[in-house]
Amino acid sequence: MKNQISLHKIVWRILKMVMAACPLYFSAVCLIGVIHGLSWGLNTYAMQFFFDSVASAVTGQGRLTVVYWGLAALGAVSIGSQVLNGMHNFMTNTLYNLVPGHLGKHIHRKAARIEPVCYETPELLDDINKAQKGAGNSLGLLIVVVVLFTFYLPYFGFMAWYLYRLKPILIVSLVFIFIPVFITQLIRGAVHARLEDESAPLRREVDYYEKCICDREYFKETRLLGAYGFFKQLYLTALNAMQEKKWSVELKTHLMEIGMKMLTLLGYFGVLYLLFTALMNGEISIGSFAAVFGSIELMFSIMDEIVSHHIGGMTKDLGTVRNFMRFLDLPERTGELERVSFEGGMRFHDVSFSYPGSETKALDHVNLTIKPGETIAIVGQNGAGKSTLVKLLVGLYLPTEGVVEIGGADSRKISPESIYKGTTGVFQKYQRYKLTLQENVWISDLEAQDQTHLETAVKKADLELDQETFPQGYDTMLSREFDGVDLSGGQWQRVALARGFYRRHDLIVLDEPTAAIDPLEETRIYQKFAELSRDKTAIIVTHRLGSAKIADRIVVMDQGRIVAVGTHEQLMRERGKYAEMYQAQAQWYAG
Amino acid sequence: MQIEARKYGLLDLIKIPIQAAPAAAILVGLHSILAGIIPTIHVLVTADFIDTAIGILQGSLARSEIYSSLFAVVVLIAYSWVAAALANLINVKFDLGLQRHYHTAVMEKRARLHYRHIENPETWDLISRVTSRPEAQLTGGYRLLISAAAEILRIMGVLGILISQVWWAALAILSFSVPLFALAVKSGKASYEASKETAKYKRKSYYLADVLTSRETVDERTLFGYSDQINELWHERYETARRIEHQVIKKWFVRSKASGVITALISVLIVVVLLNPVLTGALSVGLFISLVGATFNLVQMMSWQLTSYADQLAKHREYLRDLTEFAMLEEADSAQMVPAESVPQFRSLEFFNVSFKYPGTDKYVLKNLSFRMEAGKHYAFAGVNGSGKTTITKLIAGLYDNYTGEILLNGKSIREWHPSELKAMLSIVYQDFAKYYITVRDNIALGDVNAIYSREDWQINRAISQTGLSAAVEKLPQGIQTPLGKIKPDGYDISGGEWQRIAMARAIVNPAPLRILDEPTAALDPISESELYQEFERISRGKTTIFISHRLGSTKLADEIFVIGDGRVLEHGTHQELMALDGVYAEMYESQRSWYN
Repeated sequence: MKNQISLHKIVWRILKMVMAACPLYFSAVCLIGVIHGLSWGLNTYAMQFFFDSVASAVTGQGRLTVVYWGLAALGAVSIGSQVLNGMHNFMTNTLYNLVPGHLGKHIHRKAARIEPVCYETPELLDDINKAQKGAGNSLGLLIVVVVLFTFYLPYFGFMAWYLYRLKPILIVSLVFIFIPVFITQLIRGAVHARLEDESAPLRREVDYYEKCICDREYFKETRLLGAYGFFKQLYLTALNAMQEKKWSVELKTHLMEIGMKMLTLLGYFGVLYLLFTALMNGEISIGSFAAVFGSIELMFSIMDEIVSHHIGGMTKDLGTVRNFMRFLDLPERTGELERVSFEGGMRFHDVSFSYPGSETKALDHVNLTIKPGETIAIVGQNGAGKSTLVKLLVGLYLPTEGVVEIGGADSRKISPESIYKGTTGVFQKYQRYKLTLQENVWISDLEAQDQTHLETAVKKADLELDQETFPQGYDTMLSREFDGVDLSGGQWQRVALARGFYRRHDLIVLDEPTAAIDPLEETRIYQKFAELSRDKTAIIVTHRLGSAKIADRIVVMDQGRIVAVGTHEQLMRERGKYAEMYQAQAQWYAG
Repeated sequence: MQIEARKYGLLDLIKIPIQAAPAAAILVGLHSILAGIIPTIHVLVTADFIDTAIGILQGSLARSEIYSSLFAVVVLIAYSWVAAALANLINVKFDLGLQRHYHTAVMEKRARLHYRHIENPETWDLISRVTSRPEAQLTGGYRLLISAAAEILRIMGVLGILISQVWWAALAILSFSVPLFALAVKSGKASYEASKETAKYKRKSYYLADVLTSRETVDERTLFGYSDQINELWHERYETARRIEHQVIKKWFVRSKASGVITALISVLIVVVLLNPVLTGALSVGLFISLVGATFNLVQMMSWQLTSYADQLAKHREYLRDLTEFAMLEEADSAQMVPAESVPQFRSLEFFNVSFKYPGTDKYVLKNLSFRMEAGKHYAFAGVNGSGKTTITKLIAGLYDNYTGEILLNGKSIREWHPSELKAMLSIVYQDFAKYYITVRDNIALGDVNAIYSREDWQINRAISQTGLSAAVEKLPQGIQTPLGKIKPDGYDISGGEWQRIAMARAIVNPAPLRILDEPTAALDPISESELYQEFERISRGKTTIFISHRLGSTKLADEIFVIGDGRVLEHGTHQELMALDGVYAEMYESQRSWYN
């Protein structure tokens, strides 16, 4: 399969990141892990020593003081390993919480650098959305690998050495016991991955029909239509199909597991018999016999834990880990030019643009020159390419073909740091940040956090700071979730406008931020806007032609092309697309 | 199985699973209990085996004596292994049973809820908490209780053997362990409380992480370049949450490891106590060895499990409290009813002095609202955003009943109407209409659910052509049988405008005599919008229709326009009458018209 990144590369890469984030802590965890692992082995050894001393004291051969020393040693090792166990788990846990803080910063910095158009690409979007989860999982992966090497390996190493000293054949038989466990788990992992693939669509269906019955989006309509029974039927059918699928797979894997366990059991008995004969032949002492007998079970359960829990979990999360790795490798913008001023205006030279993975051209050979200080309205029907044009204009997207010049410089060559300087905008889906009012405005220009500037912007946006809506003035938190207030749509609109005005700019873009607003408001906003941006370059996007008239020039778009440019009067005279649209809208208000 | 309106307690963690999957639940329980007893037998069998081995070694027993002891050991181990694997399988069955019955019961309860709980943020939070994977809560709770019982059996068993050997040692150990356990339970609660506190900080940091990476924010994030500063803020919040949690976890670890160390000391103590009997021969070496092994194993278990049981128990209690609250939420009788088959005749609809505020809020959305509508005419509601237009449709549909005043349908209060008659009376295309990810056919046929399976294709096709969808449907791979949305593997995505038309087609199929169109055109540009309104008006001739819009051009056609503001009717009349009145409507209309002059 393509895009497969091998496991060791992932581990190596994440190891480097963790080492960069907290080298000391990470090394300490490793060290404690090794000691912890050894302490478990030592426990078996102390057990043997103690049992031997007791056995010989019972038969009168050994001295009582040796027994007490043995007990003290056993007690000390046992307590010591408890403490180490606590420390090791605690420190690992801390690492689990500490590192995501660093990885998170990494991710966020990366998210700021990738091309915004990546968010419009379905395949990449999956990587971006899952990066966060993938980062957590890749850390989990690293920690599993580290624990395997620093804890389990020393423990099993110690035990192997110990068993070898007792009777070399014991190690070999132990290995034989582990193999069935291993095979079962590997097969189970594969079967489960397949089950997941097959049952995931069924589960999505079950979840979805449940949503149709009782999720907010559907609730009132389903109820009014009386469609409960219909969806319940779909739900039950899908649920049954899913359950049957799951049961048949689980039955198979479990029966196989039981079979494999029988094999392991045979091996277990073999070891037991070996131990017993060794004891009978006097090759090992009673103490070692008891100690080994006691620790075999522990070793089995640990092995089971490693294979089914750790390794099983590891393969399950590998998908999102790869999402994360691909996310880190997404292309970044590399321009170096410092941005020149807007004095030079803006120019589209034969620009075409397609969204990645799409055949159709969202913009098709567009030519346009915008003079500094001009107000331009872009009009057209849904999907005509208005928003895409704007995104190329401010430099968010780069053209697929042709050149966009901003202030005389090719937008592809301007550095990411300086391309957005002097540009501001209010978009169709402006953000409602769950922050304070002040932060909501400042966020457009966090480098200049200026109070008077803030007040001017708020005033420009006609946002009234009455005590009732904003009890803490500028410090009012604008989210009920975080113990603040909820604003109405109209108020948010004004906050978004204030945000747009606050940023220092020579170019301002208004991309239909008025879709959800009533007409009286809309007219007011556009008029205000025209007034405020008289000395700036301003772009308005709208599909209500009435608002476009305030512009110096109107750009009419249809299916990715610019079909006409001119003033309202010119365009009306031309009797083209614009006049047609205008008539269609105006007829409602005729007479 | 049904969710009854009553108080739910710990006992229900046992009762509900047994009710939902009796055989599996009992087997799971039985296995756990046996797993609690086995270690005790294990101690005795091991002791016997070692003693026999020693006896043979010392020559006091014949070598053949070992086989029965060895056999016992083998049988015991074999049982544990096979039983564990079988138990896993039964657990699967158990989970499936609860999903099938309990999850479905929770869903049914949710579907029956009174509508006001759906829109109220607080109850909605509760509902989301209770209904997200509810079966896992119960299976987890059941297993927790059973395995806690098994663990106690296990401890009792080892203690029992001790008592039979040195009775006072067992008492000494009990007097140590009981307060320890009480402490663990108590601080389990405390740590649960603390983790709830960090939740708030975590939510804040999650929110910022979302701002920094989500698709919705990418435009502003890039243009405004705020990532670096917000990233710092995020990290600050993340660290605050982490530090608080770190303290909690630290305490938790210290607590569980302290009890681990104490149990280790107790084990050493037990060994000391047992030493004398074993040296004097009162206790066999075999039993001594296996007892020591068993007590040291207990240490590992006690140090983790006791504390984690206490923590989990606190969480399950919290869930049961939520479940109780959820079960007590009022239901609406109408929830699962289908519309009446015989379509009632519509004569008139009248609001008389209706006042209404949403539950849990203080502001009146409607205040002394009165109007009257007659059969066969076209009506329109006009008004600015937030004037209460959509709320009126919710009241007509009977979604809320906590209004004052009267809403009369054919002269009879809608409170007295049978819910299925009321449902049969009206069809509504909501502003946020539902996009059902099922086939085109079913999406449209849902408009008349009584005939959903019997509806003829030509009727569907007529609705499709009436809403201008024919071209779009022809392009679909399986025509009207194409599933929409991304749920089915062969599902097909359609545009927002096409969805809108599907919703309209659904209303056309609906035989209800009263049709309401609540601004369903937000995703459309003005040209498509006016086309759609014209078309709908044409289709609806002979029916009574209500259009709701703030674009006045499209409401002009109505026989009577109601201008809504401040929760009441400000003006009403035909377009001409309202223009002549020169009031609110005229101002709004002129302002909109001024764009086109």
